[in-house]
Amino acid sequence: MRIRKKYLFYFLAFSSSIIAALISGIDAILNLYIESPLVLGLSIFIMGVFISFLFSLILSINYKGKSIGARTVDPTFKGIRLIKKQEIKYQLLSGAGNAILTIGYFALLAIIRDPSIVLPFSQVVILYLVIIESLSEKDTPTLVEIQSSIIVTFGAILGSISLSGDLSLEALAIVFLVINPGWVLLSIYQRKLKIMKINGSSNDAINIRLWNVIVACLFTSFFVMIYDFLQGTNLLIESFFATFEYFGWIALIAFGVFFSFIFYIRALGIGKASVTQAVKASIIIFSIPVSIILSYFGFIDPIFTDPVLILIKLMGIVLMLLGILSFALTLTKAYVFIKMKSGYPIEETMKQLWDIKGVNRVCAVAGDYDFIIKIRTRTLVKGYERILRKIETIEAIKEYKWQSVLKEWEDI
Amino acid sequence: MINAYILVHVRTGSTDRAIEEMRKIENIRKISIIAGDFDVVIRVEVKSLDKLLKVTNKIQLIKGVLKTTTHVIEKEIVL
Repeated sequence: MRIRKKYLFYFLAFSSSIIAALISGIDAILNLYIESPLVLGLSIFIMGVFISFLFSLILSINYKGKSIGARTVDPTFKGIRLIKKQEIKYQLLSGAGNAILTIGYFALLAIIRDPSIVLPFSQVVILYLVIIESLSEKDTPTLVEIQSSIIVTFGAILGSISLSGDLSLEALAIVFLVINPGWVLLSIYQRKLKIMKINGSSNDAINIRLWNVIVACLFTSFFVMIYDFLQGTNLLIESFFATFEYFGWIALIAFGVFFSFIFYIRALGIGKASVTQAVKASIIIFSIPVSIILSYFGFIDPIFTDPVLILIKLMGIVLMLLGILSFALTLTKAYVFIKMKSGYPIEETMKQLWDIKGVNRVCAVAGDYDFIIKIRTRTLVKGYERILRKIETIEAIKEYKWQSVLKEWEDI
Repeated sequence: MINAYILVHVRTGSTDRAIEEMRKIENIRKISIIAGDFDVVIRVEVKSLDKLLKVTNKIQLIKGVLKTTTHVIEKEIVL
């Protein structure tokens, strides 16, 4: 199936949010049976490794020359494989990020029973990502992206904040200093893994997720072992028992998380980490019906109906939607077809083109043109000032043609 | 794997119908409608040059397609 690339990105990010929202509901139910958040988290990780491995195997089955995974979930998936040498560093960092994030979440639950009071602040991770991208990525966030990120972040906080309960400074410190940095590590390095080439082809989200959950499980087990050693508890063993005792519920969570992450990783491969995270903040909207259902069946306390709270929530949701729409409607893409003068080295010219900010693909081609480059910019003015002027300064370029993309479809 | 861009000229007024037909062809990874000298840019991923020829043929047989120019990618840097 071929759909428009813009829609593909939002389809993936929203699908990931919807699945994550449903899973959070099951999480809340399971929390009633497994009280220790540390045991709950580790048992989900253990099951995550098992489920991810099982589904990666199933998705590897070949059907008419293509794996089931490539036909249904990720077109770049060729089959389950061992971790590659060039992936190890990034997998260790993103796995550590996942483990830090999870442990931070456990610590938060230990301090405060109702994480909804402080968890909305974890959406500030979007701003962390904008700052990191400004420092590290060649595609620096534009003013529109920074504005939209701030709108989505504050919208997410307003949309999910609870007016009941007290704010704990300790809990806030965990969100800002542990959970958010964990998310940053996870997002940035999963994105780096997704855009990495493996044997000349695009890396697939299924193997990335499989190895990430394995590394994160190892890190978390290690932390729990240290916790057991320091506190004299037996949580590591309890986690294994809980995995078997609540097999069905935990398997359902691990299954959902597996697919939620695959869609998230694929979205990361298309958009920047900050933009993907901003769209994924829509989980706050999708979790509202889940909360209503849980409340209706008595799994959680009745929903608070203070008119002030409802007004604040509505304002937050409107802000979020505006921010996401602003991301969606302000992206301009173009192809630039380039002919070069003879007597200049192709590789050197390719590198000069690649160094221009906003250029996200450079292809040396055989045909009428020598290079076809793909541009992504938020405004045409920036496209001219930042890109075309720079192209004109490259001595090897003979002539070029800028052709704006009006509409685009991509194979999913 | 061989990757290529196929630049397509389409007869005025035939773009929508031609795109519909192109979306049915296998091995096409991306279709972009562009403003300028060309009307459509197609990104193709095939296993052999023989397959590339078959895809190009299928595109040329679409009603409204006037001309195609194929550019095989020799080297690529991508974000």
